[in-house]
Amino acid sequence: MYNKQHLDPHDDTSAQRPDFMPYQNNGGTVVAMGGEDYCIVAATTRLGLGFAIPTRNVCRYAILNDRVVLATAGMYADTVALHKVVTARVKVYQQQQEKPFGLFSAAQLLSNTLYYRRFFPYYTFNVLGGLDQDGQGFVYGFDAIGSGEKVKVVCNGTAQALIQPILDNQVEKKQQYENKQIEKWSLQEALDLVKDVFTSAGERDIYTGDAVDICTVTKQRGVVVETFPLKKD
Amino acid sequence: MIKLDVFQPTFGLDKEEENVVVPKEELYCSTPLAPSLRWNVLSNNAPKDLTKFHHGTTTLSFVFSEGIVAAVDSRASMGQYIGSGSVKKVIEINKYLLGTMAGGAADCTFWERYLGMRCRLFELKNKERISVAAASKILCNTVYQYKGMGLSMGTMIMGWDKKGPHIYYVDSEGTRLKGQKFSVGSGSTHALGVLDQGYQWNMSVEEACELGRRSIYHATHRDAFSGGYINVYYIGPDGWKFISHEDSGFDKHYQYATEKATQQQQQMSIS
Amino acid sequence: MSQLQGFGGFQFDLLERNEKLKEKGYQVPTARKTGTTIVGVVFQDGVVLGADTRATSDTTVFDKNCEKIHYIAPNIYCCGAGTAADTENTTALISSQLKLHRLNSGRESRVTTALTLLKRMLFRYQGYVSAALVLGGVDFYGPHLYTVYPHGSTDRLPFVTMGSGSLAAMSVFESKYKDDMSRAEAEQLVYEAISAGIFNDLGSGGNVDLCVITRGHTEYMRGYAKENERLFRKPQGYSFPVGTTSILSSIFEKSLAHTPSVTDPESSFSMAVD
Repeated sequence: MYNKQHLDPHDDTSAQRPDFMPYQNNGGTVVAMGGEDYCIVAATTRLGLGFAIPTRNVCRYAILNDRVVLATAGMYADTVALHKVVTARVKVYQQQQEKPFGLFSAAQLLSNTLYYRRFFPYYTFNVLGGLDQDGQGFVYGFDAIGSGEKVKVVCNGTAQALIQPILDNQVEKKQQYENKQIEKWSLQEALDLVKDVFTSAGERDIYTGDAVDICTVTKQRGVVVETFPLKKD
Repeated sequence: MIKLDVFQPTFGLDKEEENVVVPKEELYCSTPLAPSLRWNVLSNNAPKDLTKFHHGTTTLSFVFSEGIVAAVDSRASMGQYIGSGSVKKVIEINKYLLGTMAGGAADCTFWERYLGMRCRLFELKNKERISVAAASKILCNTVYQYKGMGLSMGTMIMGWDKKGPHIYYVDSEGTRLKGQKFSVGSGSTHALGVLDQGYQWNMSVEEACELGRRSIYHATHRDAFSGGYINVYYIGPDGWKFISHEDSGFDKHYQYATEKATQQQQQMSIS
Repeated sequence: MSQLQGFGGFQFDLLERNEKLKEKGYQVPTARKTGTTIVGVVFQDGVVLGADTRATSDTTVFDKNCEKIHYIAPNIYCCGAGTAADTENTTALISSQLKLHRLNSGRESRVTTALTLLKRMLFRYQGYVSAALVLGGVDFYGPHLYTVYPHGSTDRLPFVTMGSGSLAAMSVFESKYKDDMSRAEAEQLVYEAISAGIFNDLGSGGNVDLCVITRGHTEYMRGYAKENERLFRKPQGYSFPVGTTSILSSIFEKSLAHTPSVTDPESSFSMAVD
């Protein structure tokens, strides 16, 4: 988008050049949580733009294979571009090597893909979740330029500051000084927690709403996607 | 030749790919190359959350009679928000080289990983390990090419080579300094206060590690942008060794508080 | 500076300081806005005012159920959009002036009086008091409906909308408004217009509030429609075992229960002294 008041073809000093605004914020929130034998990757479906809702049902996740799922918040155009690049490279690899693309490799691939655009980044906030060789769930959280970290549970996107503290408190027992024994979350308990934090975030963040796509990754069933409704206001 | 450019991936259509010796998974996943220099949109009018990636740190390292100790915190801040409380800020470049992370997390991890690759290539070419001086210079020269484009890293490259233990400070401005004692990051002043006060050349490894740990603790106590866990590494003639990973908060605070109280009591009873 | 106190109106003595702070890069506190849908419509024997109940600060919902239809006089109400503090205080100020006027004159307030007071005040402050209002009421001359813009201009129309959701609401009015509607029709229309704002504008949300004013009678329907109740709660809830938070030290003091209390003469409740 070009700012017209700066458009002057005779003036080419850098300060007077039209503003190049390649970014827009479409909001969205993504959460990932890993368990003993499952992994949950969830992404909201509302696409926000300023105070408007252009559409209520976009897909913010990409199933890379039957054990790795990527979910992305931020600018939707960049999300689509990034998903296209990553899924293509995973597919090509699997066709050539005739073996599945691992979770760790996917994390490194995503990190490098993001960092190659260090000086013109994808305006995206990613979480990556899946199962390792033994079927145990792990998740990674990334910033916009590819700094990633392997964690138990992570949230990214517009409701990050609302959701992450609850996940830290519940899953990692942060701030519970005398209650440090870490429980194992069953898949159902984990799903309930994820649904609850999204519902709560939907109450207070205007870019989080309409619905959330919850991808459940298990060794037995691969990736199963459930759409869970949120408030539409 | 294998093409590693991610912007023009060959996707197996390149005939020369048939002679590939390198495992393919590595080809796709572990080949950091220089990012495109074409645009730097970030500095002008990028959204705030895009430029506010992981920042803020306390890291330190020093040489003493037995080798090198490196101690770091684990907090990553994005503006006022704590992006993570469990970052690994000591980057294991190879068996003999460590790097620390301050500034942009992505910048540090990416370029130190790249450095790891360059060091391995050096070994393959020259049939001997790279010196710390050479390794740090590779990193320094690499980031100097990007000077003024907004890279942000302040790192210490540490290792034990033919000539013994060495520490080099390298930052994204292109500075490269050799030294005995460095601390980098927003909490560095706090850490140096403790470190300088307690430092001696002749220390045991345990004493040196505890000094590093204590320095980081005091920095996390006073600097809002440092915190989380304290990681300590030791580098000896046989390479680096991971020493400890402890919470810098609640427990550490009361541990030091009780130690201080008992010391004071002892002094009182002596006098 | 301080001699201005007691003369009423705004104090500007911190303005210069705050501008300096802003120059130095200090962050200016953001005001709570009511990214809002407010509407009004005239029908056979009165007016219906409507509002959503969401107050936002940037992208965060500050209040899920705030009151945007403000009392002006028994026969006049006013919906507010813009900065929450500005709309609330502006309407309260005009309400107070009208009350004094009624006590002096002994007559019912007229909508046009409220309108004049509002536009004079807003014009005087050149749009810096950011209040966008929908003013409605029934007086001696019948039903009246106005909009007041932050700079002080006004409109008199049979149906009006304001706030960030005004476009969504107006599209409903434009397609369904008729002259001389019944009360039920008018209520339904306003409800639909506010709902359009609630669901299609991110600045609006929560419940629908309605206020129906007819000659000699005002009905304020808070929570006329509640279509945005929470959908899910974790079945187990959140529980923390006793002792989760460690007790570092304890001090016991004598209870304040025996402190002498003052009795409110108008009620039987007793209040403890602070």
